[in-house]
Amino acid sequence: MSENILEVTDLSVEFTTYGGTVKAVRDVSFNVERGKTLAIVGESGCGKSVTVQSIMGLTPTPPGKITSGSAKLNGREILGLPTREANQFRGVEIGMIFQDPMTSLNPTMTIGDQIAETLMVHRGKSRRDAFNQAVELLARTHIPEATKRAKQYPFEFSGGMLQRAMIAQSLACGPAILIADEPTTALDVTIQAQILEIMLELQRTENMSIILITHDLAVVARIADNVAVMYAGEIIESGSVDDIFYQSAHPYTVGLRSAMPSNTGDRDKQLLPIAGSPPDLFSPPKGCGYYARCPYAMEACHESAPDPYTLTEGHIARCWLHHDDAPPTDVIHRVTR
Amino acid sequence: MSVLDFSPARRTAQIEQLTRPSLSYWQDAWIRLRKNVRAIISLYIIILLGIFTALGPVLWQVDPALQDLNQVSQPPSLPKTAILVGQYEPWKGIVIEDFPPEAIEYLEMVDAPMGLRTSDHPTTQRVRLIWNPVHGASGYNIYRNQRYPEDFNDLGLPLGGTFAGNEVSYEDRLSLESRSYYYSVVPTDGFDEYESFSVVEIIPRTSITLDEARSRGLLPEGKTIGEEVSLKFHPFGTDYLGRDIMARLMEGARVSLFIGIFAPLFYVLFGVIYGGFAGYFGGQIDALLMRFADFVVALPFLLFMILFKIAFGIGPGESGIVPMLIALVLLSWPSTARLVRGQVLKIREQGYIDAARLLGGRHHYLVLRHIIPNTIGVILVTLTFAVPFAIFTEAFLSFIGMGVAPPHPSWGSMCNEGVKTMLSHPHELIFPAVFISITVLAFNLLGDGLTEALDSRMRARE
Amino acid sequence: MIVYTLKRLLAGVITVWFIATATFIAMHQVPGDPLLNDKAVSAEIRKNLERRYGLDKPITHQYLIFLRNMLPPNPDFGISFTQQNRRVNDIIKDHFPVSAILGLLAIFFSAAGGVLFGALTAIYRNRLPDIVIMFLVILGISVPSFVFAALGQLLLVNVNSLMGYSLIPVAGWGSFTHMLMPSLVLGLGTMALLTRLMRTSMLDVVNEDYIKTARAKGLSPQRIFFKHQLRNAILPVITVLGPQIAVITTGGFIVELVFAIPGLGRYFVQAVQQLDYTVIMGTTVFYGAFLVFMVIVVDILYGFIDPRVRVQ
Ligand SMILES: Nc1ncnc2c1ncn2[C@@H]1O[C@H](COP(=O)(O)OP(=O)(O)OP(=O)(O)O)[C@@H](O)[C@H]1O
Ligand code: SF4
Ligand SMILES: [Mg+2]
Repeated sequence: MSENILEVTDLSVEFTTYGGTVKAVRDVSFNVERGKTLAIVGESGCGKSVTVQSIMGLTPTPPGKITSGSAKLNGREILGLPTREANQFRGVEIGMIFQDPMTSLNPTMTIGDQIAETLMVHRGKSRRDAFNQAVELLARTHIPEATKRAKQYPFEFSGGMLQRAMIAQSLACGPAILIADEPTTALDVTIQAQILEIMLELQRTENMSIILITHDLAVVARIADNVAVMYAGEIIESGSVDDIFYQSAHPYTVGLRSAMPSNTGDRDKQLLPIAGSPPDLFSPPKGCGYYARCPYAMEACHESAPDPYTLTEGHIARCWLHHDDAPPTDVIHRVTR
Repeated sequence: MSVLDFSPARRTAQIEQLTRPSLSYWQDAWIRLRKNVRAIISLYIIILLGIFTALGPVLWQVDPALQDLNQVSQPPSLPKTAILVGQYEPWKGIVIEDFPPEAIEYLEMVDAPMGLRTSDHPTTQRVRLIWNPVHGASGYNIYRNQRYPEDFNDLGLPLGGTFAGNEVSYEDRLSLESRSYYYSVVPTDGFDEYESFSVVEIIPRTSITLDEARSRGLLPEGKTIGEEVSLKFHPFGTDYLGRDIMARLMEGARVSLFIGIFAPLFYVLFGVIYGGFAGYFGGQIDALLMRFADFVVALPFLLFMILFKIAFGIGPGESGIVPMLIALVLLSWPSTARLVRGQVLKIREQGYIDAARLLGGRHHYLVLRHIIPNTIGVILVTLTFAVPFAIFTEAFLSFIGMGVAPPHPSWGSMCNEGVKTMLSHPHELIFPAVFISITVLAFNLLGDGLTEALDSRMRARE
Repeated sequence: MIVYTLKRLLAGVITVWFIATATFIAMHQVPGDPLLNDKAVSAEIRKNLERRYGLDKPITHQYLIFLRNMLPPNPDFGISFTQQNRRVNDIIKDHFPVSAILGLLAIFFSAAGGVLFGALTAIYRNRLPDIVIMFLVILGISVPSFVFAALGQLLLVNVNSLMGYSLIPVAGWGSFTHMLMPSLVLGLGTMALLTRLMRTSMLDVVNEDYIKTARAKGLSPQRIFFKHQLRNAILPVITVLGPQIAVITTGGFIVELVFAIPGLGRYFVQAVQQLDYTVIMGTTVFYGAFLVFMVIVVDILYGFIDPRVRVQ
């Protein structure tokens, strides 16, 4: 049993727009263990970014609003802190990198200065010391000729190099958690592997936790310890990577798996896209959000939202199929009590 | 919790439907524009201006060149009346026989004149001042001020003087208006003034001579000297030559709006053709044409407007509107040409022109069918912003005397004349300036509204 | 960078040649003999002028003489027609500095004001300061410069009469107080334009990813504003400064006229009104060259501020 460094419970986030209120994140709970990787997966627009950005205090308010929930970092509440206090953990205890490294760095500041800035602000270092350390950080993310590179501007870097610089920057203060929001989506396939490799390497040396947001289940299978599957603003299944892949307990997770190519035998396996699209978050259905697309849907699913069922220690699924009265199915892993 | 039903869902096939009706580009743009309050108000203002210009002269039939000398530099007011007076008759003035014309002995100080008043009713034809002689004075100086004089150095305009101690009257006929004047009389020793004066406030009555009233058709039957007649009505007042400002604004609107609308029309049209041509053919032709456009852009605009205006020359009796129009077109087309060329290149890249060409479309058909509808939004926006630009240019040139030749009024030249009398009669500047500003403002806001309404990026954002 | 600069300079020289040629052609379009207007010229002067400008020679020859006279380093713009014995070079030398000071101050006011107000409107987006400033900006764009000049003067007159003595001179030139109102008035239109541009630019930058990165780094809002937002937002504003110099220069004509400032603009307008051809030609070419090179200077300066341009 390892220690939870971040505990998020019942987080809900709304956006007020001209079209109405978007309930982007609904009652999301998850834990991040020290030194482990939590992967958050789900299709586009399901609220993954909003979830992590709310924890970091990065959602724009207004239009955004955290309506409920808590997030405890080492037991300390960090949700809804005023900027000054939030800045004591942002960039210090939690580092963050984003999807598009090309636009995530200030185009008119050298890479070295941007990394050094974090150290100057949080560690009170002089500009020279901070810059030297920035060069070291760049070297640790395997950027060749780091001394020279630190003096260059973002437009002189390639995408992969920029993402490394972003990692170097988020690692500057030795954070306990690194949040990576689709860190490889904008990059070439070959570079993707390198970036993940660097992240894993640093995780080992620093004993750092990672929250990895991705669409790529293959990546999840390779590096995640725990997985949270999000759908329409909710976590519909969470558990260890083995739970999710080998004992999938939610029809959506099953659907995701069938939509994913695998390299283990089974050459004839057909990739099955999930038909339909997620529900409108302006007015989420009162029943299960997956009802419209679920091949196992039952009348009950339409009427009321499924309860979370704890199947084994740490493996939770929100689906009526786990109700004792529900008919058994062939693919859904069930625990009968 | 109620009893749950775990039987398979009886789902009816859900057909996903777009709830929004699909609208054409222009319908959509129009709906957006209508929501933009500022743009719509501007549109109404522009329509009102059009009516003012087109129908104004029909409803307000006053000759903009006619001088009303009774009412020069008149601020806006309700209709005025004037008192009928006879022909001006010279006044002998008053000389007191039993008072010495020269001071008998030189005095260090003398008193201020007593009993300063007018000899009869003051009118704008003349004001006749009289006062009691001052012991020790050998003459008097007369001053006129428009506010109460604070001290000896603040007496205002020196009108003249008398050169004998017993000449105790003065007649003022210097461009009198119906307003309050403060007349001061200062005794002198024949050369220098004594530091004492008396002041009287006088408001002359607007007057008109019988002959004048008759010749201007202001004289109703049976009226005679001493009675009142109503003068011509000038709702916006008159300028320094007594011309009706409202009539001049209407006439000036024709010039300003003519240039403001036709110059952009012509140069945008030319730019569209030029840029469309360059973009459509591309390659060498494009490079050459755009290089030339670059040079024209580099010409300092207003300097060359002035230069062209001089070069074209204005013959006697011409207004100079056409040369200005030509100069504007010659210098302003490149920006539109660049814009349209860019659009055409973008559309060409999108490939559906090629597709159409493969299907056997002919050249000019292709241009009309695809490029024009796709660029017309940008062109419309350019056109809207070009109007204030042209109006500004006209105003600028007219202001420095290089625009529309007098006596043709334009808003710019009216401002030019108004600035000269700005301190005493601000309305002569304010009216044309407000008209320019409102017109430019309306077109700018409409242009902003159009940009927003036609911007497809904004469409995607919602 | 050096190659770029040289290329720009070469293009600039060609443009100036184009301006000079256009000026020459325009002036030769003037109906009638340029020496034969109502300002009678004595026969002797006339002969001198004819020889000097080659007016008796064919037009191509005249053009060459004209171009040769304009050549740096010692361009010779000739002698004024109306101000006897005054060389155009001297007119420029005496009066351009006045215009330049006025223009520089106006640029300073408009740039400082534009950046400041633009930033303010972006910070207070859709709140009272934003609404008020943007209303004024729309006014600033829609009111002609001579109206501002007139209003500015009116204001000074009223302030002075309220104070009872001449606090700020209403017209003329000499001390710093003379310069204040004219340069402010001159910069107003540009300031409005820059404010608008700065506002859009700021709002664009706020939504950039790197601002989110900066927040995730735990930087204070002040630091983000000054170090990340402002610098990036100012860049597009600088690019329009070059063309705006032309606007301010020609706007100076009017301001100099209204405030009775002895700048080159006023003499140019005077020359135009009196059809003093040598002064018109000389100052047009001078102004043209000045403006062309100002645009180049601003572009090169921009290169020093924006690393993306500097390195390429
Ligand atoms: N600033 C905002 N204003 C309004 N709605 C927002 C805003 N930010 C996010 N949303 C809404 O929240 C929902 C979740 O967005 P989020 O960015 O978290 O999705 P995501 O899971 O990260 O998707 P992706 O994989 O595409 O990054 C979206 O449907 C979006 O409509
Ligand atoms: S609750 Fe019902 S609809 Fe939802 S996933 Fe489970 S079976 Fe499907
Ligand atoms: Mg996302």
